[in-house]
Amino acid sequence: MSPTGSIADSNDLPFPNAADAAFSAKPSDIEREVMELFEQFRSPLLRYALSFGVPVHDGEEIIQEVFLALFRHLQSGKSRKNLRGWIFRVAHNLALKRRYANQRSLDGMALDAAIAERQPDPSPNPEEQLSSAQRRERLLAVVRVLPEADQGCLRLRAEGLRYREIATVLGMSLGAVSMSLTRSLARLIRADGR
Amino acid sequence: MRSEDHLSDKHLSDQELLLAADGELATRRAAQVRAHLAACWDCRARMAEIEGTIADFARAHRQNLDPQLPPIDGPRALLRAQLAQLASKHPVGSWRWLFQFYSPVRAAAFVGMVLIAFLAAAMVGRTFLQHSARRGTDPALVASERGSEPDRSLTPGATRMVAVGDVCSMPHEEVIAEVSTSLRREVFQEYGIVNAHAGDYEIDYLIAPGLGGVEDIHNLWPEPSTSRTWNAHVKDDLEERLHQMVCAGKLDLPTAQREIATDWIAAYKKYFHTDRPLSLRSDLIRLREARRAVGD
Repeated sequence: MSPTGSIADSNDLPFPNAADAAFSAKPSDIEREVMELFEQFRSPLLRYALSFGVPVHDGEEIIQEVFLALFRHLQSGKSRKNLRGWIFRVAHNLALKRRYANQRSLDGMALDAAIAERQPDPSPNPEEQLSSAQRRERLLAVVRVLPEADQGCLRLRAEGLRYREIATVLGMSLGAVSMSLTRSLARLIRADGR
Repeated sequence: MRSEDHLSDKHLSDQELLLAADGELATRRAAQVRAHLAACWDCRARMAEIEGTIADFARAHRQNLDPQLPPIDGPRALLRAQLAQLASKHPVGSWRWLFQFYSPVRAAAFVGMVLIAFLAAAMVGRTFLQHSARRGTDPALVASERGSEPDRSLTPGATRMVAVGDVCSMPHEEVIAEVSTSLRREVFQEYGIVNAHAGDYEIDYLIAPGLGGVEDIHNLWPEPSTSRTWNAHVKDDLEERLHQMVCAGKLDLPTAQREIATDWIAAYKKYFHTDRPLSLRSDLIRLREARRAVGD
């Protein structure tokens, strides 16, 4: 669990002095705040971790580590700016570490396809169901072969992150995020035959 | 890119349309884009395409992964317990400067302080133990320490032949199976416990049914409910954790069975990465007992 701190803290100031800490909120307040953020971001974060091809169980552990790191981060009175970006960045770094590289390209695809088949839309028309599942699979297939950074941008955008947050998570510039998303969307639109 | 498809410079680029759709443009530029869109059907259509595609991808992304997300309850309880433990370890943020060793002198001073504190604690502890042993007034505590782990000669653990798939697809009622009354009586007899009050002990499975353990006298022992630290509820958490790990393919079933049967407290420490129980539930029970004690 210890490496979390170093990843999370890499861009932050060193420990605050005692005087700073005196101004920080009481631990119980911080615990409550962390739990609220957990409620809010657990699903988006877990989806994001799973999109790396990390198994669910590992994904859950990553999320636990993220919020324990967040607790330490807040407890030591560090910056609250761009917390959502910070949280996703820690999750991103931990997921990268845990990723099962081989499973990702092949099994991941098979799994996606299987899930797509198992979970048809609740639409009354079977043909529509099929086409909607197919279309979803087509979109996901396009994304899977994109460069990693482009995939990351799209998935973070899909989770509702702003560009500056995406830039924080992936260590890119704002311009690069914008260009990556534009490029990926053009591909998605083309693949969709729109 | 769109600006290449349509050779007019007046049209907005895909990048700009996307920035506008995502609300990422500066206010002034956003107003200009809005004005252009109002007048240009072409760009409006492209904008709709971009917005539609990004929304479709977001939906596909969620629909693809949401079925895999387990319920939030378990992880929530675990996080809350871990936070409580972390908070009790570092109650005040300003403590942390203590652990920053800027010089060897400070590091040595810190080690010295820890040693002194340790010696002091050891002396106090010994005095306390001698005191309580002389008085002999805390049999419950002693019993609980003794009873948290079963007598291995009486309760070595017993399992059935079972495949991992069966264990993982077991209905919940079977996982928390109640022990029959006659068997409970036998277990009490075996352990020489007479006149036990209802609620003093829980007849617990050493190897839980959820891990392939069976309702057999070799797999059951009377676990004191009074245990403050390593009690049946803490063990339940371990069983749940091992069950999840086995079903997630992170741990093989025979290892899980062996470890819980050999020394479940050691297994708890290993799999929860802790030296003391994290369980929220055991905290709640302690709280409830305390309330009962004051007649609340």
